[in-house]
Amino acid sequence: MLDLLPQWMRDGIGDDVAFWIGYFTNGKHLAWYASVQFTLFAGLFGACVALALGLLAAAARNGGPWPVRFVAAGYINIVRGVPDVLFFLFFPLAFEQAVEWLWATQVCTPESIAANPNPWPPCIEANWRLSTVEYLIMASVSLGIVYGAFTANVISGALLAVPRGQLEAARAFGMSRMQVLWRVHVRQMWIYALPGLSNVWMLLVKATALLSLLQILDFVTLAQRLGAANYSAIAGLVHEDWRWRYYLVLLIFYILVTFVSEKAFAALNRRVRRGMPILDGNAA
Amino acid sequence: MKKLILAAATLLAFTGVAEAQVRLGSEGAYPPYNYIDESGNLGGFDIDVGNEICERAGLECEWVVNDWDTIIPNLLAGNYDAIIAGMSITEERQQTIDFSQDYFPSDPSTYVALSGHSIDFDTLSGLRIGAQGATIQAAYLEQNLAADNTILTYTTPDQAIADLQAGNIDLILADKSYLAETVAGSGGALTLAGPDVEIGGGVGIGMRKTDAELRGHFDTALTAMKEDGTLDELIALYFPEREGGPFYTAE
Amino acid sequence: MSFIAVILNEIQLLARPALLNIYFAAAAIPVGFVLAIFLALGKASHNRLITALSRGYIYFFRGSPFFIQLFAFYSFVLTLNMSVWRPLGIDWLILHPLFLGPAILTLNTTAYTAEILYGALATVPRGEVEAARAFGMTQAQRFRSIVWPHVIRIAWPAYTNEVVFLFHATALIYFTLPVIGGQQDLMNKAGELFERDYNVFLHYSVAALYFLAISLVIFYAFGLVYRHLMRHMPQAAPAKFSMRRFMT
Repeated sequence: MLDLLPQWMRDGIGDDVAFWIGYFTNGKHLAWYASVQFTLFAGLFGACVALALGLLAAAARNGGPWPVRFVAAGYINIVRGVPDVLFFLFFPLAFEQAVEWLWATQVCTPESIAANPNPWPPCIEANWRLSTVEYLIMASVSLGIVYGAFTANVISGALLAVPRGQLEAARAFGMSRMQVLWRVHVRQMWIYALPGLSNVWMLLVKATALLSLLQILDFVTLAQRLGAANYSAIAGLVHEDWRWRYYLVLLIFYILVTFVSEKAFAALNRRVRRGMPILDGNAA
Repeated sequence: MKKLILAAATLLAFTGVAEAQVRLGSEGAYPPYNYIDESGNLGGFDIDVGNEICERAGLECEWVVNDWDTIIPNLLAGNYDAIIAGMSITEERQQTIDFSQDYFPSDPSTYVALSGHSIDFDTLSGLRIGAQGATIQAAYLEQNLAADNTILTYTTPDQAIADLQAGNIDLILADKSYLAETVAGSGGALTLAGPDVEIGGGVGIGMRKTDAELRGHFDTALTAMKEDGTLDELIALYFPEREGGPFYTAE
Repeated sequence: MSFIAVILNEIQLLARPALLNIYFAAAAIPVGFVLAIFLALGKASHNRLITALSRGYIYFFRGSPFFIQLFAFYSFVLTLNMSVWRPLGIDWLILHPLFLGPAILTLNTTAYTAEILYGALATVPRGEVEAARAFGMTQAQRFRSIVWPHVIRIAWPAYTNEVVFLFHATALIYFTLPVIGGQQDLMNKAGELFERDYNVFLHYSVAALYFLAISLVIFYAFGLVYRHLMRHMPQAAPAKFSMRRFMT
């Protein structure tokens, strides 16, 4: 990318600076900067899944027949007891095996099963190739499932905080239970839910650092590859172990994301509380 | 319900057929065998060998990067079709996967230490020795030297080198081909030390046992490459420190 | 093997690795808690510099992922080996994962706990503190008799959550630090067993069961402490067992 600069500029900045500009804009570094897209995608898509599951689970836990409430409570409590790393590794593998097993029941003949010495999949036709895209989507979904449980807790609490009078008035007007839920209850709930949701978002964004565990060349992996000590001139610049510098950049990146998210949530909070007389310890 | 599953299965099958490619897996952290080069793509001896084989066999190949410790499980899970990652042919690995013929001659393992640091190799004890996890060297260290020394394993080879340079470990046991190039590039900071240790045969391409056809393609292409000297040229290009060439032509 | 036998065998295989996770958590909790008290007081202090430093520390450690913190601190500590740890003679300690893992975990949990304690500090009733001052109590006496009892009771539920999170975070330690002498924690061991037979449902589920069980033990133990702390408050009637509890 150094060659995008005009020659007079390159002469002006001197060889050393030019070298470093060239180094930090070489293809490997550009791929590193671009891999932020994986983190952002996983964060945003995971957040959508978490919100959807959280709403569903909270609604199921508060209203609905008892089997549904049981399942929702089970989901929320069990996921709180399991580390997100473990679920992150477990879900893509489990999902892949489940899909392959279903597929194998359709596609595998006894001969092909006998011909396959591998423990899994049962026969080679029932094999689902996973690449970066599939892993990324499954990673986002597994993040969504884990943080959906936390979101459900937050939303449950927020649903309970909505003044009862509003719901009773809505029922008195003849709205059905579903109408009361979606038009009045959930709409009013956001004000109480936002602080908790901003916490869950922070946790989720930090969890996207784990994408490298699923063989995705994400922001963290490429930082490790770039910082790694290299003594092979043919592979690139020969340098000692520079990892801590690259990790520092990663840390600063995540702190920046946290900072921007905080500002965004504060703005969202202010907007949502327009005209509301509620006080929450801080001035309205 | 059955129709739904069949429909989904056919859909997935179509995505499989539409590719009609061979996917090759590599680690990307083991120069000069495989690494991610300055332009962000996989490069190295393994990648050149793989591309050459695919060209000769008329296959359309795609490269996939995968960490070393899950490279065999993900091959068996079907994420790619072959492993070309400087993987040594060993009996233990041959129990789960098949190998092509070797494309790099039999490579002993040896130790590397910081220059000026003298080690008594007759009685290796009380030392901290490192190796990359899930390699033949790590297994060798666990079996033979773990009783008297502290063995540390790392996820990538460069982490071991970093620890060696920082003085956290005294020795690393790794492939001599890798260490020779690393020592040459280190500008005198590291030196090869100790005796050669024979673990494992040559370096081969790993495949699932069911892929006999693919193995046939690879073996044919490799034989051709050996006979016309292409393979030796690549070895000389990537392994200038390796003595004793040419290895495959002049027979 | 029957199903129960398989599960029992798995539980037995994962027992020793689980001890390693428990060790990491147990080593980090007490130190983190004590340091967090000082950090929370620092954040609430009147001294601008101390407040700024405390805020900065808390923001740094809460704003970045623990996973990256592990990598970053290990690398950084490693580069200091020749210049600092070796001359001091403590390199065998500092770089050992059994020390470094809990150390970085402590740095992390100090920040989160300090934030919780700080939030609780803000809820201490001013009137009581002023009355204590009027009585001539020193700062230390005020802290011991008025501030601290209040803070610990308000903060305890949130702190319980933090301790459970800390325990979950121990799963990440052996993904990042070099493994010495084949020690394995729950995640490593489950991963190794998985690679032998591809039974993801068995190995990872039992590992998850360990985490779940130990989390429940933490919740229960900390709940007992909370009951002890709140023993002076009017007690709710003892809950009678009813299936309703499982359905809400």
